[in-house]
Amino acid sequence: MANDEVASRLAAGLRALARPCAAFAATLVGAIFLAQFLLWLAPGDAADVVADTPKLREALVREWGLDQSLFKRTWLFLGHALTGDLGLSLTYRPGAAVTDLVAPAAVRSGVLLVGALVTSLVAGVGLAFVTAGRKSLARRLVQVFSVVPVFLMAYMLMVVLNETTFSLMESGTLARPDWFALPDQDSHLKTGLAIVVLAFGSSALTEIHVASEQELQRIRRAPFLDAARARGARLAPHLIWNLVPPLTTLASNRAAFFLGGLIIVEKVLHLNGVGAMLWQACRLRDYPLALGITVVAAGVVCGARLAGDLVRVAVDPRLRARA
Amino acid sequence: MKSPMILGLVLLVAGPATGAALRYAEDLAPGIVNPLFTTSMSEARVNELVFDGLFTDDEDLASTPALAADWDLSEDRKSMTVHLREGVYWQDGTALSAKDVVFTVQAMKDPATLSSEAGRVGWIKKVEATGDLQVQFTFEQVEVAPQDKLFFKILPAHLFNGSVVRRGDAFRTQPIGTGPYKLVSYNEDNSITFARNRDFRDTVGVQELVMRELSDKSYQAKLMLYESLEALIRVLPRDLAVLQNNRKVELYPYQTNSWWYLGFNMARAPFNELNIRQGIAQMIDVPTLLAPVGTGELLSGPYVKSSPFYNHEVPLVENDGFLAGGSLEEAGYRLGPSGWENDDGPLTLTLTAPRMMEDAQEIIINLQSQLQQNGITVAVEFLDEAEWKARIWRNQDFDLLLSQWSFDRNEDVRDQFHSKGARNFGGYASETVDSLLDRARESSDPYEKKMLLRESHRVIHDDHPMVFLWTLDSYAAVNTRVSHVVVHPFYFFTYVPTWRMTK
Repeated sequence: MANDEVASRLAAGLRALARPCAAFAATLVGAIFLAQFLLWLAPGDAADVVADTPKLREALVREWGLDQSLFKRTWLFLGHALTGDLGLSLTYRPGAAVTDLVAPAAVRSGVLLVGALVTSLVAGVGLAFVTAGRKSLARRLVQVFSVVPVFLMAYMLMVVLNETTFSLMESGTLARPDWFALPDQDSHLKTGLAIVVLAFGSSALTEIHVASEQELQRIRRAPFLDAARARGARLAPHLIWNLVPPLTTLASNRAAFFLGGLIIVEKVLHLNGVGAMLWQACRLRDYPLALGITVVAAGVVCGARLAGDLVRVAVDPRLRARA
Repeated sequence: MKSPMILGLVLLVAGPATGAALRYAEDLAPGIVNPLFTTSMSEARVNELVFDGLFTDDEDLASTPALAADWDLSEDRKSMTVHLREGVYWQDGTALSAKDVVFTVQAMKDPATLSSEAGRVGWIKKVEATGDLQVQFTFEQVEVAPQDKLFFKILPAHLFNGSVVRRGDAFRTQPIGTGPYKLVSYNEDNSITFARNRDFRDTVGVQELVMRELSDKSYQAKLMLYESLEALIRVLPRDLAVLQNNRKVELYPYQTNSWWYLGFNMARAPFNELNIRQGIAQMIDVPTLLAPVGTGELLSGPYVKSSPFYNHEVPLVENDGFLAGGSLEEAGYRLGPSGWENDDGPLTLTLTAPRMMEDAQEIIINLQSQLQQNGITVAVEFLDEAEWKARIWRNQDFDLLLSQWSFDRNEDVRDQFHSKGARNFGGYASETVDSLLDRARESSDPYEKKMLLRESHRVIHDDHPMVFLWTLDSYAAVNTRVSHVVVHPFYFFTYVPTWRMTK
């Protein structure tokens, strides 16, 4: 009997996950086709970037398979990608395995992405606890600060930090810090700056803050909270537990948004992650590299959604029952 | 409120200063360090640090032996024997031999190598090792000063199999050369660290070099001021004043062998008509275009003014609206209320420029304004590198383009102006110029060659396939801790062994 119950729960869980998993695979394949198509639409190709004579161009086109149809190229890429082989870079780092280039860059970007998600959630939810249901100056300040686009925020913070530090150094108040000067030196400060900019800029913080406020208000009005209040129980655990599903949805949706911001922030702050690499790969028409990064990015977005679904299924018994 | 927070952050991460290395900036880090596949100036500069050629330039830009010790040119000038320097070692400890030179030439010539530098050895018919340190070159035709063309970098044969070098060979990131520096590491932040080669033939003054990738050119000057960089290859004109006034920065002027131009697409009407090209050229106020982007010398033809081939008797195109109108009228155009037009419609053109070209935007907008004031409707477009190569180089799809050509000291403009030239994108074809360029190439008399090329300058000027603009004055910025600085106008680091740096 107990075994039957376990099996039935497992089946329900798997049914609940079947759709997100199918969506994951479909999104990944769709993203690859779309990226390949957009790269194909862009004028010029990798051979154009390298060759300075028609003869050399012709030879490179043949060697790199650029004379094959778009469908065949994508199909071949998918076939190799399934075995973990994303091909070799053509123009960015000629001959280097795309996986060798993308893996360390993805780790660097992952730190920024996770950092930005956590920072924006902690800051947004924390502020929501303070401001929900009240008239607050903090809300206005957050809105004003957060509306600044990420590229502008990154550039302004960099300039202010550099100029202030430089004037302190010139006056003899401060010894030259290790990180000085941005964006040239890699440092924890630069990584932190990128995380803050991603988490707060382009209205990211406002969106999470406002959504958290609304959810908090909704939960505070919920009957189960009245019951808990009447029994004299602590309200915070109930509030936080019930905030998890909507915040998970919000966070998994923000992942895609943060990935877009990464391209800009990494470029301004010279962080060698997948965003900056994708920029160069597209500029240099390095198709395998651009597609490799697309696979990683699509995987991250789909993975974030899948993780969000898993968390929701785990937290919300109604979803499990529905499945 | 902001300042104390910033100060707090600053103090939190403050630490000791560093900086024994000479750091210089590039817009884009080299993707590959192999002289057979050079496609950008940043790669050419790194090659200059790591590799060596048989000959190089002395400070007067005359050929001087590098890996060569001596050479004998045959009486008929169709072959040459080069004796290599003794006691030269690759950075992995292997001795340099004649086989390395033979291998390099054969690899460049081998079609399977797909070398972008193959054109540099097209004039060599045969190369063979006639001794451990002796190489014999046989030329396709008579060569007056073959040493001037033997400056391509030599590769170590023992690190490759056969005569084919692949773009993707591991050598691309672990190069071994005989140059003044050895590549130590490709770093995570895309910088490259070089350590001096203690076995180099001369003492190398600066212990360590670091190439830093910094795509925002406008911030490079800032980093010079902050002493986060010790050298800038080329200072933007707008940064000159601030760097000049800084006591920690010294500016070094140098003349590049490059010139800017506006090129017509002569395969496309109405720019196939001389009067149209001449009329447009006469409408352009070149000094006004130059003023916002720096200083330089205005040119009347396809050589820089210091070149022996520049024809000083050819005047600059006169900027004169009246003359321009006359030229357009001769081409059948009349000035209507909305500008110049003929029976087919108004005279319009699209101005195309590379997006990555410094100051292109300023020049193009200024030029658009000048031409529109003169009655020509002008659209503008900026193309990135791949699109530029596809549209301009491959498909010749443009009306009028802004670009520049850079040359090594051979200043061979055949590719640009010969009807069979590989880079003659404008479709310029003149039997006279073809003949002059062919004869100049074949001539064994330097004086005759000079006169032929000067004549080609005159004919090209009269045909107006391009509006020749200027050669810009360039300035390198170097921290004053670095002394004995001499920069090469093209490869920049040719004389870097002589540089000295104090901590």
